[in-house]
Amino acid sequence: MKLLSSYIKEMKIAARGYYFYIEIFFAILLLIILLVAVKENPISKETEFLFYDMPAEMVDAYYSASIAKGDVKAVDDTILEAKAVSFDVTDENTKEVTSYAFGDESYQFKTFEMINTKTGQLTETVYIADSEEAMIHMSYLEKKIGATMSLDANGGILYKYFTQGFETTRLKNLLYILHNESGAALKMTMDNQSVRKLGTIETLNARENMVPVFIVFMGSLMGFFIVMAYIFLDKSEGVIRAFAVTPSSVWKYLLSKTLVIMTTVAISSSVITIPVMGIQPNYLLFYLLLLISTFSFASLGLLIASFFDSISKAFGALYTIMIILMLPAFSYFLPSFDPLWLRFFPTYPLLQSFKEIIMVNTDVGYVLANSGIFLAGGLIVFLLANLRFKKTLTV
Amino acid sequence: MISVKNLSHSYSNDEKLAVNNISFEVTKGETFGFLGPSGAGKSTTQGILTGLLKQQRGEVIVAGYNTMKVQNERFNKIGVSFEQSNVYSKLTAKENLEFYAKLFDVPTRDPEELIRLVGLEGKEKVRAGEFSKGMKHRLTFARSMINNPELWFLDEPTTGLDPTIAATIKDIIKEQAAQGTTTFLTTHNMYIADELCDRVAFIIDGVIKLIDTPRNLKLQYGQKLIDIEYINNGKVIKETLKTIDDHDRKRIGEIVNNYDIQTMHSKEATLEEIFIQVTGRGLV
Repeated sequence: MKLLSSYIKEMKIAARGYYFYIEIFFAILLLIILLVAVKENPISKETEFLFYDMPAEMVDAYYSASIAKGDVKAVDDTILEAKAVSFDVTDENTKEVTSYAFGDESYQFKTFEMINTKTGQLTETVYIADSEEAMIHMSYLEKKIGATMSLDANGGILYKYFTQGFETTRLKNLLYILHNESGAALKMTMDNQSVRKLGTIETLNARENMVPVFIVFMGSLMGFFIVMAYIFLDKSEGVIRAFAVTPSSVWKYLLSKTLVIMTTVAISSSVITIPVMGIQPNYLLFYLLLLISTFSFASLGLLIASFFDSISKAFGALYTIMIILMLPAFSYFLPSFDPLWLRFFPTYPLLQSFKEIIMVNTDVGYVLANSGIFLAGGLIVFLLANLRFKKTLTV
Repeated sequence: MISVKNLSHSYSNDEKLAVNNISFEVTKGETFGFLGPSGAGKSTTQGILTGLLKQQRGEVIVAGYNTMKVQNERFNKIGVSFEQSNVYSKLTAKENLEFYAKLFDVPTRDPEELIRLVGLEGKEKVRAGEFSKGMKHRLTFARSMINNPELWFLDEPTTGLDPTIAATIKDIIKEQAAQGTTTFLTTHNMYIADELCDRVAFIIDGVIKLIDTPRNLKLQYGQKLIDIEYINNGKVIKETLKTIDDHDRKRIGEIVNNYDIQTMHSKEATLEEIFIQVTGRGLV
C-alpha cells in the first residue's frame, strides 16, 4: 500500500515534470527517424572516377556492349569544377612518392550510370576522365576511389587504383586479387562455389536492425540518467529526509522511483518497437527483458546518486558510465570490431538479446539467461543503493 | 519520552565532537527547549533523536524505542517539522499531506483540517512550488502533525514567518501541549522558548551548560531592573537601575523625590541575556 502510494505520487510528479515528456518526445523522434530516414533495404550508391589509357574505340565498344545488356545507361557529359590543391601519391608496393599540384580546373567527364538489372535501381555513377590527372584530381577532392585502366603487352587490362588511404586492408587485398582472373573465369569459379544457410534464420532489415540499439539506450541510458535526475530533484527539495521520518522504508521510496522509470521506458520503447516491428517480436520476452534491464540500470543510477549531492557534482561519473554503456554499439554496427573485453560490458549482451527477441527465430534460452543475470545484478545493485541511502540521510 | 545518556557524535569519526557527552530527559507532555547558537550541536542532537543521523556513542531512548535499533514503526509516534521546508513542489498542498498520511500505520488527521489550521485555507489545490517560503514552512509544520504525534520535534518552527502567522503557530504548539503532546523544540529564538517551554537546555560547542525552567533561570541569574526617564535642567535623562543593589535603590528614591518622572518600567532579564551570562556567547 505504501509502495503503491509512493508509486502514484512519483507518477504524478513525473507527469508534471520535464523528464517524462523528454523521454516520450525522444521516442517519437526516433520513430520518425526510423520510419522516414532509415530505409528498410538501403542501396549504397557509389561513385567512381576512371581513366582509360587505351584507344577510345575499345572503351566505346565495352560500354556499348554494356548498354546493350541494359546494366549501363549513358547520360549527358558532366562538367565538374575542381579547386586548386597539392598532395602526394604513394605507391603501396614501391613506396615511391609522386607529388601533384593542381590549379583551379573545370573537367568534362563522360558519364555512365550502372543499373541493377533485377531492381532497376541506380547503383553507381562512373565518370570517365580525359586524363589521368583529371581522374586523380577529382578522386582526391571527392574522396572516392579512382582507377586507371591500361593495356599490357599481351592486350590484357592493367588496373591501377588510387585509394584514399583509410580503406581497410580487406578492401585493398580484394582490389589486388580482383582482376587476377578474367571476368569469365571469376564468374565460373563463383558459380562452382556452393553456399548453404543452416536453418531458416531470417536477417533483420536495416530499419529493424536499429531497433535494439534505440531500445537499449532508451531503457538503460535514459533510465540510468533520469532516475538520477529524480533523486537530485528530491535532494534539492529535502523530501528524502521527510520520507525518512515516516514508518515507510527507504527501499520503498527507491523502488517507487525505479517503477516510474520502468513505466516510462515501457511506454517509450513501445512507441518505437510496435510501429516498426509489428507482431514479429516475442513481446512477452521483450517486456520481461526490458523491465528487468531498466530496473538494473535504474538501480545503478540510484547507487551512483547516493554518492553525490547534486547532478553537477555527479556529472563526471554520469558521463563516464554513459560512455561505457554506449561502447558496445560500435561492435553492434561494426561486427569486425568485437574484442573479447567488450563482451563484458552489460549493454553488449543486452543488445544481442533484444536483437534475438525481435528476430523470427528467437533463442529463448539465451534471452532468459541474460534476463536472469540482469535481474540478479540489478537486485544486488539495488540493495547496495538502499544501504547507501540509509547511511547518507544526513541532517 | 526522551532519555539521552552520554551522547557524543563526531562527523569526522575522531575526537572532534559536534555533540560531547550530553545527557538529559524529557518527560511525557513536556515542552522542552533546546537552545543554542548555530553550530552548537542542536541539529546534530535532533538528527540522532529522529534517526536521521546514525548514533555513535551513548544511549538514547525515544518514545520507548532504542535509537541504535532500526525500527521504522517508531515514526508512527513521532512528528518532525524541519527548519528548511521540504515538500514536493510539484504536488498541491493537499496532495502533499495526503501522500504522507498514507505512509503511517496509525489514524491520521484530515489534510484539509491541517491546511486550515496553519492558515492555508483556499490553497489546498495550489502546488507547493507556487508557495512563498513562509507558506512552505507552514505546510511542513502541518505535515508534522499528520499522524497525531505523541512526540513532536520542532526545528525553528516560527523562523521566517510574519508575526501574525508566528502567533498562530505558537498557539497550535500550546494547544498540542495542552493535549499532552511532548515537544522537543530546537531554536535560537529565546523569546519563543521563554513563551512555550516548560524547561530549556542551553547547548554550546556540543556541551549542555544547564537545564532548568525559564522561571528558575530568571530567578537564579536574572536581576530586576528599572528603567527611569526623568527631566533634569530641561533635558530627558534615562537610567537603568538594579532593584537588588543598595546604591541603585537609593538613587531611585533620589530621582523620584527630586525630578519630574517621564516614564518608569520594571524589567526582567531575558533568557537571551541569561544565555550570554551563562555561556559567555551570543545566540547568532
